[in-house]
Amino acid sequence: MSREGDDLSTRLQIALPSKGRLMEQTLEVFRQAGLNVRKTGNERGYRGEIEGIDNVDVSFISASEIAACLKSGKAHLGVTGEDLVREKISDWKTRVELLKPLGFGFADVVVAVPKCWLDVSTVADLDEIAGRFRDDHGRWFRVATKYVNLTRRFFSAKGVTDYRIVESLGATEGTPAAGTADLIVDITSTGATLQANGLKILDDGVILKSQATFVASNVAPWTPSTRQAQNEIMARLGA
Amino acid sequence: MVAETARQFEALEAQAGKLLSVFIKAGHEAVAPAVIQPADIYLDVIGESLRGRTYVFLDPDGDELCLRPDLTVPTCRLHMERHASGGKPAKYCYNGTAFRFQPVGASAAHPREFRQAGIEAIGNSDREKADAKTLALVLEGLRVAGLTDYKLRIGDLGLFRAVLESADMPQRWRQRLMHQFWRPEAFRAELKRLTQSPADTSPSLPRELLAELDPGKPGEALQAVSAYLEKHDIEMVGARTVADITENLLMIVADQRAEPLSARTAALISNYIGVTAPARAAGARLKDVMSSEGIDISDALDAYHRRLQLLAEAGVDVVHADFSAEFGRTLEYYTGFVFEVVVPTLGAASPVAGGGRYDSLMRMCGAPSDVPAVGGAVHTERLLAAVRG
Repeated sequence: MSREGDDLSTRLQIALPSKGRLMEQTLEVFRQAGLNVRKTGNERGYRGEIEGIDNVDVSFISASEIAACLKSGKAHLGVTGEDLVREKISDWKTRVELLKPLGFGFADVVVAVPKCWLDVSTVADLDEIAGRFRDDHGRWFRVATKYVNLTRRFFSAKGVTDYRIVESLGATEGTPAAGTADLIVDITSTGATLQANGLKILDDGVILKSQATFVASNVAPWTPSTRQAQNEIMARLGA
Repeated sequence: MVAETARQFEALEAQAGKLLSVFIKAGHEAVAPAVIQPADIYLDVIGESLRGRTYVFLDPDGDELCLRPDLTVPTCRLHMERHASGGKPAKYCYNGTAFRFQPVGASAAHPREFRQAGIEAIGNSDREKADAKTLALVLEGLRVAGLTDYKLRIGDLGLFRAVLESADMPQRWRQRLMHQFWRPEAFRAELKRLTQSPADTSPSLPRELLAELDPGKPGEALQAVSAYLEKHDIEMVGARTVADITENLLMIVADQRAEPLSARTAALISNYIGVTAPARAAGARLKDVMSSEGIDISDALDAYHRRLQLLAEAGVDVVHADFSAEFGRTLEYYTGFVFEVVVPTLGAASPVAGGGRYDSLMRMCGAPSDVPAVGGAVHTERLLAAVRG
């Protein structure tokens, strides 16, 4: 067995968000737990370390890449949105473990339809008009979303199949008004953006209440020393 | 991980050769439809759930394609290429690869890449005869390939439609139950709602507006809905018009004022769905249950019995076949007769062969109207495993 301290496989790989509020709040939560994350190299660097725990490598990457690294096992631990974990990892229950919700980055993934659909306030109402919509308009409902898998699983669990997903990579809430979609599945924190775009959330249309979450990969190369580093971090985070 | 490669290539090819020679001898033309198919036809037929189990991808032009999850749709499309009307009678057979995404990883019984050998009979309007010939030919193929010990399971979605058609209820309820038939839980919930409280609507629908609407006066209703939208400063967004929305609101109102579905009718429908019996006895039992309630499904039952008779004449052991009224429920493109061949070693979740009638599939592939069609396919890896024991 190798005992070299700098052997990659024995160092704990942690992936943290690289940008914006998500990064700031992550570092703040870590700092309050007595875990000072220091960027190594220059200030814009994408690598870092945690003061006082020496076999840890921190990498700063985008939240959706963090989900991918946890899925493949390139990272042992990571901070990312629960929405991304469930969306990007089809068998997330076996591949990762949700260790601790971190209390920021709140966002609900919701189904929203035009407010003018006075006859639709639940998913069942939506299902009820799907067939007639197709007869009248010669196509299925279009659902714009970047959450293709969450959408599909949610509707499938509700028995709704008569729709088409249109993948949307930005400004999803504007697609019904623009005519490129009929309804959307998107994240919202206050609902104000949906309101401004003439949309309403279905009564039973909350797919997921997501927040930033500390996640462990079950498929990463765990060793006694990486486990020990994880335990130390978890103890300080109070998880 | 197992079954990633066709390790048993020679054995599978030899077995497929036997199956195809049986199919060709019976007049089925061997075809090799494209492996890569446009995703939209499958999405239309199966719905978005397709993406959960199929390899759907974008090509460099941004068009959505998929690796075929079966060979029935590709064969129908091939038929459409040859005959634009779709209705010209033809019989095809094939042996080729199909692909399924296996979310929890591939296994021997559920590989992500497997070979299907099968037949399709398109355009034969003697449905029972075509059904019987198709099943008999698939079984003949299995016999020649060496399968002796199996269980045959059949169903008939035409019977369910007949039960629903003759039960007393508004047409829109029938359509709704038909629509939910594929989803057992939603179906049960809908049946219960229609029986107990058809007036129950989603709590946040606009009560005061619903109270104003009269199904007998659609013109006034349209005005009332427009006025409501204006008063609440709600702008029209998207493709649905005020007329579309009004029409549906009027149906909701009609439901609120309708007599609930009688408990007897509801019980009859759920009793029908619960019927499982030996194939021969099932027809008689259904007839008894239905006629005691004054429901006449004799046309559909005659078709059922005629098909059994034709199967028996073709040498199929119908005495040991099982009928299940619910069978076929989770396979959305079948419209009538359905069948499945199960072997004890692999279990009910991994049938060796299956198929059925799909009269609306050709229309979904571009034919101007429905075309009678029936087919069946053998999962050749499973067959090989079953034969080798």
